[in-house]
Amino acid sequence: MTLNPISAPVDSASEFHKIQSRPASIEVKNISVAFKTPKGTFTAIQDIDLTIQKGEIVALIGHSGCGKSTLMGTISGMTQPTSGTVMANGNLVKGPGPDRGIVFQNYSLLPWLSVYQNIYEAVDSVFKGKTSAEKREITEENLKMVNLWPHKDKLPGQLSGGMKQRVAIARAFAINPSILLLDEPFGALDALTKGSMHIELLKLWNLDNRNKTIVMVTHDIEEAIFLSDRVVVMNNGPAATIKEIVDVRLPRPRNKKDIVHDPAYMEIHDRLMGLLFDKFSIEDD
Amino acid sequence: MKKLLNIQTYLPLLFGIGSAVILIGAWWGISLLTNREIPSPLMTWSVFNEMLATPFYDYGPNDKGIGNQLISSLIRVFSGFGLGSLVAIPLGLLIGSSKTAFRLINPIIQILRPVSPLAWFPLGLLAFKAAEGATIFIIFVTSVWPTLINTAFGVASIPQDHKNVAKAYGFSRWKYIIKVIIPFALPHIITGLRLSIGVAWMVIVAGEMLSGGVGIGFFVWDSWNALSLEKILSAILIIGTVGLLLDKGFDWLQKRFAFA
Ligand SMILES: Nc1ncnc2c1ncn2[C@@H]1O[C@H](COP(=O)(O)OP(=O)(O)OP(=O)(O)O)[C@@H](O)[C@H]1O
Ligand SMILES: [Mg+2]
Repeated sequence: MTLNPISAPVDSASEFHKIQSRPASIEVKNISVAFKTPKGTFTAIQDIDLTIQKGEIVALIGHSGCGKSTLMGTISGMTQPTSGTVMANGNLVKGPGPDRGIVFQNYSLLPWLSVYQNIYEAVDSVFKGKTSAEKREITEENLKMVNLWPHKDKLPGQLSGGMKQRVAIARAFAINPSILLLDEPFGALDALTKGSMHIELLKLWNLDNRNKTIVMVTHDIEEAIFLSDRVVVMNNGPAATIKEIVDVRLPRPRNKKDIVHDPAYMEIHDRLMGLLFDKFSIEDD
Repeated sequence: MKKLLNIQTYLPLLFGIGSAVILIGAWWGISLLTNREIPSPLMTWSVFNEMLATPFYDYGPNDKGIGNQLISSLIRVFSGFGLGSLVAIPLGLLIGSSKTAFRLINPIIQILRPVSPLAWFPLGLLAFKAAEGATIFIIFVTSVWPTLINTAFGVASIPQDHKNVAKAYGFSRWKYIIKVIIPFALPHIITGLRLSIGVAWMVIVAGEMLSGGVGIGFFVWDSWNALSLEKILSAILIIGTVGLLLDKGFDWLQKRFAFA
């Protein structure tokens, strides 16, 4: 079987993904985050409300610096909100937890550990009850998933940006969290690798009967539509809020090549472009 | 073949010869100016060779070969330095990772660090009732600071990114120390050790002049009493060379443990 990462159907199940009847996975309630800076407090995001159902894939888009990573930080528990609360799987978020796998925007690999060890240490730390053979197997599986098994002994400094990103993705997947928080996970990848990573992400999601909730920040509108059930568009900061949430009611499995000709796709695409670029027009004569 | 003819290949060697010429030239000049009161390089060279011909002779407690003297000194240096590092590294890890510990201990470091090693000697004598213990004690007390400060600095400068990994994946305290703090701080720790061994090697000469016995410092003092300036100059060369080798050793370690 040959796998064409771009045009192959990505899902095996054909039934339309029903999410509205599911319980909430992430509840962001009236969140504000202000940072103390030498010039006074800087409010990055303000009064954000967002409920994400279990099994939903949500994309977060907005201009650079608007507060996407900050919002992700409050969900992951890495950032304490100044006011408001976040619930994840029904529990109040007080800090990071193994139920939420994070891919940081800047990869955050430990430079003195090999690719293999970077993943193994995370696996080892989360699956305390498993034997080391089981933990090694999980590590191997996930490294193979991102095609980095041949590079397992390299140090992060010897990897390209895209390879580092794939290590970070494998690490987040390896701990098998019910919520995946991906901050521009595919940003440094070329189109082809990006395409196969999309497939891998959806495969993983299908494998678990679409029970995993995925929130991802992206600057790529096509990627956002192809992958997600809803696209959250944020305003520009400071004190950024949610501008609009666009539903992506395209049936799954979606085919990357065909989907772009779907009128519904084009409508969503135009809507998102409009939301992101309403203030800009190119002056050209 | 081309490479052999290239001047670049020989540059380090040429510069090496150049500095040797400057050193020996200056030495010779001073020797002439002082009417040979300072022995010339040639006079020193013959004594130096004699000393190196039988480095391990032993004619009683006050007359031992230069090799014996060096070994005694090195044993003292490494004892004091080793003990100092055993205290400095864990303490540095502690004050680098805890603001409270830093604020409690930093003032003490700042006050004790500038104290001359010789000022500690009487305390050492009092504590150990022996010159040997006192010498190791002053090596300990002066070589502890660079490692302590560098370790603490290294730990305190761990980037947020690395802390985030540990936090996000729930590393245990132990895993955090072993997989994050120590690997990150290691290059800083080795830099500290390198500075510490340099200080220890400087202090040993002064320490042994006070304590007597066998050792390179005592050897210098003994040679002065015997009015053998050739021996003193030879000893200075040897002290310098050993110091250089110690530094090179830690330089190698530093490169060996540099990541990224
Ligand atoms: N620790 C911090 N201290 C002060 N200001 C911060 C801090 N972290 C983020 N900010 C500010 O908050 C705002 C939002 O930052 P954030 O990283 O969330 O943006 P982003 O939407 O993820 O941008 P990008 O798309 O470029 O990654 C920015 O103006 C940034 O300067
Ligand atoms: Mg960001």
